[in-house]
Amino acid sequence: MPRSTFVYVTYIRTTPEQLWSALTDQEFQKQYWFGVHCESEWTPGSSWKMVHPDGRITDAGEILESDPPRRLVIRWRHEDKPELKAEGDSLCTMELEPTGRAVKLSITHTIERESSKLITAVSGGWPRIISNLKSLLETGSTILASGSKR
Amino acid sequence: MSASSHFVYVTIIRTTPAKLWEALTDPKLIRQYWYGVNVECAWTKGAPWKLAFPDGRLADAGEILEIAPPRRILIRWQNEWNPEMKAEGPSCCTIDLEPLDDAVKLTITHDLDRPESRFIRAVSGAWPYTLANLKSLLETGAVATNSHPGH
Repeated sequence: MPRSTFVYVTYIRTTPEQLWSALTDQEFQKQYWFGVHCESEWTPGSSWKMVHPDGRITDAGEILESDPPRRLVIRWRHEDKPELKAEGDSLCTMELEPTGRAVKLSITHTIERESSKLITAVSGGWPRIISNLKSLLETGSTILASGSKR
Repeated sequence: MSASSHFVYVTIIRTTPAKLWEALTDPKLIRQYWYGVNVECAWTKGAPWKLAFPDGRLADAGEILEIAPPRRILIRWQNEWNPEMKAEGPSCCTIDLEPLDDAVKLTITHDLDRPESRFIRAVSGAWPYTLANLKSLLETGAVATNSHPGH
């Protein structure tokens, strides 16, 4: 089946509980996600939406699986740019696995179509977001300001 | 494109290009964040490049194809320890450093000219661990973890 997939793995010196909280707490998200936060009850079937500092909602969907502090699956659809919206639903899976004194975080973002523009877009975004998250959890501060677009 | 295997990884590290370059080329620093391996290289164009396991066995070998401190290294990289991966022939590893705010964007691209390469699958598992430890070492003075699931 034609498919586009982006996978990003990193190891963060933290606990699964702290990482889960960092991935789901709105105020904490804003610190490393360039001002963005995600609104959700984080339970299976609950709605999920990504809200920008100016109030715009660019992405929305539903929590398909939630198993704290191990696994989260989001049905994720872009709602802002027409060519990305037209691609329909993607799936974002976040997996947390204890590894020594750290946690292995794996993000898999996939859509059932070839050469997806949405997957290209998130491939640029995830490394910046997760680099910031790792620095914030390990050092107490992020490395990139909200204006960093590259 | 379909005939080759490709891995790319981007991480952003709070450091300077000069310090990151040192961390990527100094054997004493490399050993701290990279499974204890020993890298031998003069880091000049055409110089041989060798990576050995902590017990001294040769893991990988090759040659520096391009080098531009503190921005870019291109390595011809041949697996030497696993017969199946060795049979796949040389891969090419590109390391790019780019200043970004008060940090450096590090991009690792690893390619091998055959589909579904076992070697590229292996490095796809190893690079995220190595680079997560490198980022922690430069930002906090210590690696993130010494226990890798595969080791």
